[in-house]
Formats: sequence, C-alpha cells, structure tokens
Amino acid sequence: MGRTRRPRQTGTVTSLDVPRPHLLRRVFGPLAARDFWAEYAWLWLSGPLTLFSLLSFLVVLAVGLGLTPVLLGFLVLAGAIFYVRGLGAAHRGLARKLLGVSVPAPRRPELKPGLWAWVRARVGDPAGWRTAGYLLLRLPLTFAGLFTMVVATLYALAATPFAFFWFPMGEQHLPIFDIYAGNWAGALAWSASGLLVLVALPWVTHAFVALDRLLVVGLLGTRELSERVRDLEASRATAVEDAALRLRRIERDLHDGAQAQLVALAMKLGLAKDELEDLDLPQVKQLVTAAHTNAKQALTELRDLARGIHPAALDAGLDVALATLVATSGMDARVAVDLPRRPPPSLETIVYFSAAELLTNAAKHGGTTTYVEVTEERDVLWLRVRDRGRGGARLVPGGGLAGVAERLRTVDGELTVASPVGGPTEVTARVPMPR
Amino acid sequence: MRIVIAEDSTILRQGLVELLTFRGHEVVAAVKDAEALRAAVEENSPDVSIVDIRMPPTHTDEGLRAAISLRRDSPGRAILLFSQYVETKYAAQLLADRAGGVGYLLKDRVAEVSDFLDALRRVADGETVLDPEVVSQLFSATRQTDALSGLTPREREVLGLMAEGRSNSAIAAKLFLSAGSVEKYVTSIFGKLGLPPSEGDNRRVLAVLRYLDT
Repeated sequence: MGRTRRPRQTGTVTSLDVPRPHLLRRVFGPLAARDFWAEYAWLWLSGPLTLFSLLSFLVVLAVGLGLTPVLLGFLVLAGAIFYVRGLGAAHRGLARKLLGVSVPAPRRPELKPGLWAWVRARVGDPAGWRTAGYLLLRLPLTFAGLFTMVVATLYALAATPFAFFWFPMGEQHLPIFDIYAGNWAGALAWSASGLLVLVALPWVTHAFVALDRLLVVGLLGTRELSERVRDLEASRATAVEDAALRLRRIERDLHDGAQAQLVALAMKLGLAKDELEDLDLPQVKQLVTAAHTNAKQALTELRDLARGIHPAALDAGLDVALATLVATSGMDARVAVDLPRRPPPSLETIVYFSAAELLTNAAKHGGTTTYVEVTEERDVLWLRVRDRGRGGARLVPGGGLAGVAERLRTVDGELTVASPVGGPTEVTARVPMPR
Repeated sequence: MRIVIAEDSTILRQGLVELLTFRGHEVVAAVKDAEALRAAVEENSPDVSIVDIRMPPTHTDEGLRAAISLRRDSPGRAILLFSQYVETKYAAQLLADRAGGVGYLLKDRVAEVSDFLDALRRVADGETVLDPEVVSQLFSATRQTDALSGLTPREREVLGLMAEGRSNSAIAAKLFLSAGSVEKYVTSIFGKLGLPPSEGDNRRVLAVLRYLDT
C-alpha cells in the first residue's frame, strides 16, 4: 500500500560494503526525487479538488434535503451520495497516480428492483457517506498542508539567495517575510535558514501526505476487514469450485475422447490378433500382439490417471466413491458415510482425496483395520479415520498429513491428529459446509 | 445373436457394431442414450443388450438405471453393462433382482475379443458374468466379513471364479483341479453360506450375492 521509496529513505544506506553517498547528495537528494514532486503536486492539486468536491457535494445535498418533502428530494439525495462516491473514486485515482496508494474500491450497494429500494440503497450506501466524511476531514488538513507548502516554498525561494543579492546590490530589505540584514553575516544567516527550509521541505510534505494517506486508506477504500474477508472468501470459493469443475470436465473429456479411442483401438487389434491366429505370419502376429498389449497397458494407465484427476465414482456421491476406493485399493477398511445432504462438488473432491491420503497413511503405519467415517453435524462435515496400529503419526512439514492439512485449508478445513505411540490413531478433518 | 447396443461414444459404438457384425452377430439397434435403448429393446426384443453405464444427460449411471428398469419390466432380460470403471455398488444393484442374465464388464475387456464374445454369449444364456476386477474387489480383505470368514482360501478362489461366471469345468481347467474336486468345493461353499440345495443353478448367483451383500 505504501511506496517503496520515500524521501526519508533516500540515500540512507548504511551497509558497510556500500559507500555512503556524498553528503550533498544525502541532503539535497530528496529534493530531486520523483516521489517528492509527486507528493508536492498532490498537495497542490488535492487542495482545490477537495474544496470543489466538498462544495459541490454540499450543494447537491442541501438541494436534496430541501426537497425531501417531495419525492424528488430523495432522488436528488440518492444522486448526491452516488455523486460523492464518484468523487471518492477520483480522489482514489489521484492518490494511486501520485502517492502510489492502491486502495480497493468499496463494495457497491446491493441494488434491488423498485425505485424506493434503489433510493434506500443509494442513500444508505456507507461508502458514499464515508467519502463525504473524508472530504470534510480533508478540507482543513489540505489547507493546512497547502498553506505550509506555499509559505515554505516562498520563504525558501526568497531567503536562500538573499546573501547573493546582499553583497552586490546592497539590498537590505526584501518585501516579503520582512527579510532584513544589517551586515553580511546576517545575510548569510538568512540564506542558511532558507536552505534549511528547502532541505526540510520534502520531509514536511511527506508528513502531511502521510496523514492524507491514512485518510485515503481508512475512508475511501473497503471499510471493514470483514467486508474484505467476505469478498476473499467468496472469490476463493468460486476459484475452488471452478477448479473442481474443470477437473471433472478434463476427466470427462478423457473418458469420451482418448479412452474411447483406445478401447476401440485395443478392440480392433484384438480382433486382428484373433484373425491372424490361423495364418502363418509369425512376424506380423508378433507385432500385432505387441501392439495389442501396448494398447491394453495404455488403457490401464489412462484409467488410473483419470481416476487421479477426478474419480468417476464421485459423481454418485462420497459413499460410492469411498467404498470404491477402499475396494479397489485392497486396503482393510470400513467406510461409513452418513450425510443428510450432498456437499458441493469441490468439498466432495477434497474430502475424497483427503480420505484417500489418510487411508494410505493408515495402511503404511497401522496395518490393522481402518475405519473411515464421514458425518455432518451442525453445518460441519467431519471426516474421521481411525486405526488401531502402532500410532506415532505426526504432522510434519512436507509429509502426507501436512499435504492433507494443506488441501483442507483451501476450504477453511482443519486437520487434527491424535496418535500416541502404541496407538490408536485418530485423524479428524473438520470442514465447514456452506449453509 | 440379435444385439442392441447403447453407447454414447460414437467411435466405440461403431467399433462394437463392426466387431459383432464381423463375428456373425446381428446388431439390431445401436443407440446413444437410455431412452432410445428402452425403445430399441422393446421394439426388437434382442437376445442381449450391451449398455454403457455413463450416458447422457448426466453421465453418471443412466445405463444402470435403464438396465434395472428394463429388467423390472421383463425379468431376466439379458443385459451386459459396460463401464470404464468398476464400482461394486453398481454391481450389487444390478444383481439385486437375482434373476441372472446380467453382466458387468470393464470396457477394456473388449480388447480380448473372444473372451468378450464368450461373456456376451453367457449373459444371453442367462448366466451372471462379473468382471474379474469386480470380483477381486469383492474378495479384497475388506469384504471378508463373518459370513465369508468360514471359507478356505481355495474355496474363495473357486467362488471368485464362479462370480466371474465360469462353469465348474472352466474352473477346474483354470485351477488345474478335477471336475470332481471343484464340485466338492462348490458344494462346500453352498453349505458354508447356508444356501439350500433345492435352488439349483441359481445358488451360484446367490453365492456371489453373499459377497455383494457384505
């Protein structure tokens, strides 16, 4: 959100290996930095902009309030809030351009059909009112900043060269700031003070702009963290769901495309092999037999691959998929799935692959019957995998269990492992279900 | 044989038609969804139908549901279900009516043309044919519940081959046993599973179902 380079940071590299920049450079460097000029421009530009924004908004607002007895007033009021939102966007844009402050736009109010609902949503738009508050706070601040800048700039421009004028021209009195010196030492002192102000200018500018930054971030952006979290949750859920759908589509494409082609190929090769049976063509026979074997092998591998991408049995639900998984793997396991409703496909996929990994883990460390249980209690899906093996399973980074925990985290799930040495082991995954 | 094919993949459907025609069978209809299958079966009364489990519109278990409903209307109607994957639950649903004349094979099995045609023939004849993979799933350690724990490994092996739809003589050949000793194993299996002797050949199906039920 902040910028990487600020005047205060320019030329203060203190590493032993890097030579410190020249003193002059350190003192005057900030004046030449682009950052300073951007902030300087911000102070100059945002003053009039804030004044204009606030005044125009207040006028529209006053008109709206004055007309509230008639319906039209509410429309104007809604328009005023809508307008101030737009002003907020302009300020945000300027801040991004000049200050590098990138603030996400606030949520749009949820608009429902109907004129009255529209007016209510618009007038009640918190982002609009926050922008109004921003303008109100900004106004005194921006003028304090602008005033300081103007004074400091004028003073620096007038006082710094004073000594040069004093010597040749004997000028003793400047029409501004009451700059006067009776002797050359006094003139030098004026120049020194002007230089000091000049050098301090970037820091002072930065201090004012820092306050502005706080206002921009605090009032022009998305207000609450919770709002942001809600947005993120929604977009992540979409992403996860999207990934699950895409995998399903890939699996179906494989099934309809490559797998079907391979089955047809293997079938034809099988037919050719049978037809060659009675002929005396040993080399051809050998070739066809080899091709036939290859095709069958490819089919098996492709089927395993497709199963790893998206187990087709998942289409029929977690119970079928897990029962099939256990049966296919030849593991000693019992599966009990008791779900009052089907979880969304992405959750099913994640729970399925988690269960698969946990089963593999249990088989590796346990060696006894593993019990897999999937239940839903109060909008939480529980996956429990228990075995009476020798225990001692732990969540280690990079391990299988950590992989499961990682997978679950994408849907706000958690994994807990209870596995005392000597067993029994119970691994529990807890996944919140959408309501 | 007169055969109806329901398979949504064009390339597979055509491949099957070619294969079966080449081997002297008559494909009376080749359709691509469950609805058309029902119409084709009702119109043609084929000796056997080959049905893909996943078909439009949902690509989940349309074929299975169509098969179950066809067999409900006309018990024992021979259907060979065809799937890219094996799921024991599907097999259990399919066999639940206990009428025979069903098969459940992985699509890969068409690669072994004669085995496939043999399986098709046996389904048409009213036998039950399960894919070796289904059988191995059923026999995996997880399935060994109390009802089956009394069987010896050899008996399980025999039962597995029965589930694949093999006759006693085929089992004997496969296990290098005499027909007599296979007979003995089979009788012993029936006894241990508590299947009454009066049910004749159907006991073979019932024995397989014991596995599916557990």
